Formats: sequence, structure tokens, C-alpha cells
Amino acid sequence: MLGIRLFFIGILASAVIGAGVYVMKLRSDNAILKANAIKLESAVAEQQELITQQKEDFKEILAANQKMNKLVGALKKDLEDLDKRFNKNNRDFGKLALEKTGAIERIINKGGDAASRCIEIASGAELTEQEINATKKSEINRECPSIANPNYVPY
Amino acid sequence: MNKPTPLQIEQLEWIIITSNNAEEVFKRLEEQGIDPVLFGLTDKDFQLLAKNFARIRNHLKVTNDLLDKYKEYYEPEKKENVKDGE
Repeated sequence: MLGIRLFFIGILASAVIGAGVYVMKLRSDNAILKANAIKLESAVAEQQELITQQKEDFKEILAANQKMNKLVGALKKDLEDLDKRFNKNNRDFGKLALEKTGAIERIINKGGDAASRCIEIASGAELTEQEINATKKSEINRECPSIANPNYVPY
Repeated sequence: MNKPTPLQIEQLEWIIITSNNAEEVFKRLEEQGIDPVLFGLTDKDFQLLAKNFARIRNHLKVTNDLLDKYKEYYEPEKKENVKDGE
């Protein structure tokens, strides 16, 4: 009789201990799940932030590319203008230099100085007040108005 | 990273020498104590030189602007600090 009672007490005790261990394991699992959930939320937030940053970067890259294309177009126009100055209306530059040597010499020296200034600006030199404020043809650097005279609008 | 120092170009003088003024030009050079020797270009080659210069300038400008953009992207704080310090 005592043996049977002890047996049932043993079973009961085992059940209580088992239940306790099970509850403790559940609690531990729950804590892990909570920690994982927090990590996941944090990761999602980081990803969102990254996506937002990437979107902003993309917009900036797009704007920078547009600006660069505009610059390349303007520089190309400067080069075409230079070509026109030499060959406008089938102009023979050599013949002109032969006929008006002094005048052409003055023109190419002035143009050479302007072209040198363009190189300085292209390499990062600051614009002068005079260059910034130039709006008339007579005031601009004719070799590279697109980079030397930001306020000049061709007319 | 600091940007390269902008170039400072030396000014030079172009002399046009033709069959008509050659003697006069060399005489003038001698009077000024300059060796009577000139390095010549034909009118066509002068045009090519001018265009080559313009192409180099354009390339320099594009490269320099690209560098500015990269600096803006990779060193935004540094740039702000520089602005603050001004």
C-alpha cells in the first residue's frame, strides 16, 4: 500500500517538476523570441533607413548626371563656337593673317590669354567678380563663357 | 583629401610671321635681344592647337567637377566644417 502511494507521489512529483521545467523552457523560448523580434524590428528599421538613403543617393546621382550632361553640352558648344570663329562664312584664317597681320596677331594673343584663363578656371581657380558679373558679349571670356561667365545668357 | 591646386598659366606671345613681314619680325627680335628664331605653325595647325587646348580644358573641367561631386558624397561633414570655418 505504501509502495503504491509512493509510486503515485513519485508520478505527481515528476509531473510537477516536468511542468515546472516546461514552463521555464517556455519562458526561455519566449525571451529568445522577444529578443529575436526586437533584432528583426531593428534590422527592418535599418533596411528601411538604407532604402531611404539609397533612394536619396539615386536622386542625387540622377541630378549630378543631368548637371554633368548640361556641362558637357555647354563645353561642346564652346568648342563649336571656336571652330566657327576660324571658319565662319568660309573664312580663310591664313589669308586673313596675311592681309591683316597686326590685327590678327592682337586677336590671337587676346584669345590665347583668354584660353589660358579658361584652363585655370577648369582646373579649379575661383572666378573673379568681373567674370561672375559679365553679362554682355564685350565683357565675357569668349573662349569658354560656359565656365567663366555663369551669368551670361547668349543672345 | 585636398583638391589639387588650380593651375596658373604663364602668358605667352604669339607672333605672326608672313612672307611679307619676316625680315621685319626677325629684326625686331634682334633689337629686343631675343634670338632670331621662331617655332612655327601653319594656320591650319594653329587652329588644331587651339581646338586641342579647348578639348583638354573641357576634359579638365569635367574631371574636376566629378572630383567635386565625389568629395561632396564621401566628405560631406568635412565640407560643412570647412564652410563653418570660413
